[in-house]
Amino acid sequence: MTEMIKLFVNGEEVEVESGKNLIDALEKVGIEIPHFCYHPALGADGNCRMCLVGIEEGRPPVVPACKTPAKEGMKVLLDADHIKKIQHDVMELEFINHPTDCPICDQAGECKLQDYYMKYEGTESRMRVPQVKKRKVQDFGGGVIHDQERCVACGRCVRFLRQITKTGELGLVNRGDDCRVEFFPGRPINNRYGLNVVDLCPVGALTSADFRFKQRAWFLKRAESICHGCSKGCNIMVDHNKEKYEDDIIYRIRPRHNEQVNGWFMCDAGRMTYKSENDNRLEECTLAGTVRPLTDILADAQSRIEKASKALFLVSPSASLEQLVAVQALAEKTGAAVSAFSDGYIVKDDGDDFLIKDDKAANRTGVDLLSIAKSRTHFDNMAKEADVFINFDNDLSRSLSEEQIGKLFKDTWVLNAATHPGHLGTAMAGKAGASVALRSWSEYHGVVVNCDGIAQKFVGGVMKNIERPDIVEIAAGLGSPATGAAAAWALVQKKIPALAEFGSFLELPAEGVNLTDNEAGK
Amino acid sequence: MTTLDIVMVIVRVSISAFVPLCFLAVCVTMERRVAGFVQDRSGPNRAGIYGFRAGGLVQNLADGIKLAFKEDIISEHVEHKFLYVLAPIISMAAAIISFALIPFADTLVLDGKAYVMQGIPWDTGILWFLAVTGFSVYGIILAGWSSTNKYSLLGALRSASQVISYEIPMGLAVISLLIVYGSINLSDIARFQGQNWLGFIPMWGIFLQPLAAVIFIVAAFAECNRTPFDLAEGESELVAGFHLEYSAMKFAVFFMGEYVAMFASSAVIVTLFFGGYNIPFFSTDFLIRNIKPVAFVMLVILPVFMFYFAKWIRRNNRSQYPRENDPREAEATVYIRCFWILIGVIEVFLLAILAFAQPDTAAAHLLVALMQICTFLLKVTLMLFVYVWVRWTIPRFRYDQLQILGWQKLLPLALLNIFVTGAIVVALG
Amino acid sequence: MAAKVKQLPSRGGTPAEKVYLIEIFKGMGITLRHFLRNLWDNSNLYVRHYPEVQPNIPAHWRGRHRLLTHSDGTPKCVACFMCQTNCPANCIMIKAGERTDGITEKMPVSFTIDLAECIYCGYCVEACPEDAIRMDTGIYAFTSSNREEMKIEMDEMLSLKGGYTEEEYQKGLEDE
Repeated sequence: MTEMIKLFVNGEEVEVESGKNLIDALEKVGIEIPHFCYHPALGADGNCRMCLVGIEEGRPPVVPACKTPAKEGMKVLLDADHIKKIQHDVMELEFINHPTDCPICDQAGECKLQDYYMKYEGTESRMRVPQVKKRKVQDFGGGVIHDQERCVACGRCVRFLRQITKTGELGLVNRGDDCRVEFFPGRPINNRYGLNVVDLCPVGALTSADFRFKQRAWFLKRAESICHGCSKGCNIMVDHNKEKYEDDIIYRIRPRHNEQVNGWFMCDAGRMTYKSENDNRLEECTLAGTVRPLTDILADAQSRIEKASKALFLVSPSASLEQLVAVQALAEKTGAAVSAFSDGYIVKDDGDDFLIKDDKAANRTGVDLLSIAKSRTHFDNMAKEADVFINFDNDLSRSLSEEQIGKLFKDTWVLNAATHPGHLGTAMAGKAGASVALRSWSEYHGVVVNCDGIAQKFVGGVMKNIERPDIVEIAAGLGSPATGAAAAWALVQKKIPALAEFGSFLELPAEGVNLTDNEAGK
Repeated sequence: MTTLDIVMVIVRVSISAFVPLCFLAVCVTMERRVAGFVQDRSGPNRAGIYGFRAGGLVQNLADGIKLAFKEDIISEHVEHKFLYVLAPIISMAAAIISFALIPFADTLVLDGKAYVMQGIPWDTGILWFLAVTGFSVYGIILAGWSSTNKYSLLGALRSASQVISYEIPMGLAVISLLIVYGSINLSDIARFQGQNWLGFIPMWGIFLQPLAAVIFIVAAFAECNRTPFDLAEGESELVAGFHLEYSAMKFAVFFMGEYVAMFASSAVIVTLFFGGYNIPFFSTDFLIRNIKPVAFVMLVILPVFMFYFAKWIRRNNRSQYPRENDPREAEATVYIRCFWILIGVIEVFLLAILAFAQPDTAAAHLLVALMQICTFLLKVTLMLFVYVWVRWTIPRFRYDQLQILGWQKLLPLALLNIFVTGAIVVALG
Repeated sequence: MAAKVKQLPSRGGTPAEKVYLIEIFKGMGITLRHFLRNLWDNSNLYVRHYPEVQPNIPAHWRGRHRLLTHSDGTPKCVACFMCQTNCPANCIMIKAGERTDGITEKMPVSFTIDLAECIYCGYCVEACPEDAIRMDTGIYAFTSSNREEMKIEMDEMLSLKGGYTEEEYQKGLEDE
């Protein structure tokens, strides 16, 4: 527990955490101090002067809040006339050369300039001289587009590339109204975290080429999710929208703050995982080559499992704990084997020491916690024995070549439940089995455990036009004791006692539950 | 049964069954055009076949075809499909048979045999009308209840309670009339009104029983669910009332049933209060005895009437805006020629009667019967006009006002009227 | 502007009025007078003989939408989605894309208005920051035999011309 101190804001006493600057300390208690250049991850720079606050009986009487630590008994002035005048004048300064092209700016709706204009300025421009013209659409590389006219020269992007990625592609050049962000000619942004500058930019100066003009920010619905791109489990916000007469699709993925996992950032590759959620999805459920309703397929599969001498279920290491448990329970009931064989999910030497990990599976720790076998030999042995094979969204084509898959399941009846086509390779395409189109992670809820043993919940907000089943539903349809999400969660709690205190997955704290800590601690 | 008997049965039944149906077109057209003219607009005047619009009658044809070919929907939630389908049939059938006992001409004597000119030659008379209109409530209640719709049910409840409560003053008004006429047979009543009082005032019910006439007409409006008593379908609160769930032809049957009921009650009002089929001042016997002068007068009047009618058509059947080679003027010419041809044919018949017919022959009887039918239909049409006229003048009552009027105003008045009438009749001996 | 309120004396209190029938007959007299006058001669009806006689549409009347162009024929619209955001009927569907004519950066790739859903409130015109959409074509009659035809596309809206001069239109806005 951090130490609490008392200070006064506009004459009213508030209790804040000590050891923070005024912006962070007051934000925790819901008092906003406007700022452009300060960012909690990048530290104070103090160049924008927007966060100037008055200190009563203090020396100096006006200080930048970002550089001023909160102290006991401090008397902060936020709504004094001279502070309002400062805020108004700073805003007016920022607007001198701002093109105000909000209609064509992607930042509109989530732009600090817009918000602060409405809150702190709200007057018409007094400038009667022509504005300084600068470059408009400048490709910064790495999918970042820069608009020099909109820039407020806060330097957040420059500091991010210097402090966090340590690549330092950008710099602020020139002074006064000629000041702008530039990269050294021929050396654009070239790192795997470059798109974070788009989120950092408080205005519309840096926009994502990928998201450019796709949607206005205010149309987007938000779903708090976990990135399934690798085992780091970065907290993300899935911005999706269902336009009239169209399907619900994801427009972008943004990082969500979680100090324990990813801080404020995420990698560019993770941002692009939304594309595979939108496109090239499996749409139909087929049985022996013809489109059939799901219930028919499940009934057929269930009778085959009952008759089979041995059945093998292959689960994905990205599946949620509930899904894993549902399949495991089904296997225990029917005497089938479960494997999470997924060597191909690990990409050697791809990870780094910041956010990207080698293991591209979101829940491998969860697989281990549930003691699901994942070795090649186990999988091979079971595959040879089995005459019914059900794949629960494991992209086997990553681990094995097409010939290997074809050879393993030559005489086996295969049910391939998958989100995307090609999980068993094209070799299986002609085989008379069944396939089921599944919901993907942006469409279901669940809990995954990341590489550091932190269990995190995610909420799927996307509602596709085509109704697809979840793995839990399929397992239930095949006779699993986990008949629904609640029953699956109860099973999870039985297997992982550290989660027992949470009545449903939604009760997990936003920052996640550190399972390894709990085990070590108790 | 002679051939003549059979022919007369067919003729009488056809007249009493099909005339109300044919008058549907007149009612609907009149409703629309009168509404238009009352509100200073024109009403339907566009629908036409090759430019012939027949004063808006073609619009009815178009609507009829539309309703006949529309999809006939029975909602899923309708549980009692049989009753649901039965309801409009009851409503329509009750309306048609309520006209069956109304005489549309005086007793016709052919070959020395008298034929009562009613659809069904019974003498239950006015009681039949009261009974059958009471029966039509079943149609409304069944429709409202079987629709499984709260608006329908509310509409049906209102309608049923309204019809039942207005039947009482209506019946009481009829009682005072019956005291005067001394018969419930409508033919007798009509013949009674053929007499003249003091030689120049026709002994019509409206003169003998003015209070009963007002009560009966008001109650008849309520019985027909017409404005100002159309709370059953009050659009603003009940969408459409009891026929809300009905579509296509089933709706059309309700709609037709309402207009037929309106026609039938107009016919009853005319028979009870406006002399029925009687031509004012001229009794049937007088006409039959003086068939030649009557035919001569007709011979003269018809062309004169046609001359002015043609002028009226010319004046009104044209485009009221600048238009070259106005097709409507050509249309008017065609109408006028058709009418002149019709008049010509009638003239030839009248000439033939004038030349060959003797008084008290079959031809004379037939001509008088025809004239009486025309008179009767003219009177009914005027009464229908009153229905329409009232509808486009008076706004709808509130429901409590409706019931107060029925129970607290009309009922005591009707009772008072019976006492007064009875006293006078007893006093006059 | 305050509403003009005309105070009418309360009616219905006198005994003659309470009988009600008398007042009804008075009212029926009025309607009968109108009926007979028009029956006698129907040239005095307060009716516009549409479609032969066309109405005179004022400039601020909200008719069918059109998209305005710059003098070189390129659309003024920058696909800011303000109209779509404001549309209470949700009938505007825009897809934005990169602009190719060099005027700004953004332009609509497709701009569809579903006239069957439009309620002609004119909020899109008011919301437009670029004066790119107006409802001044004076077209008030449009029909089609299916729903798809009621969706009008960008090309069609760009090709429509305004029904009024700029001065008339601006004056119409003031009148409104």
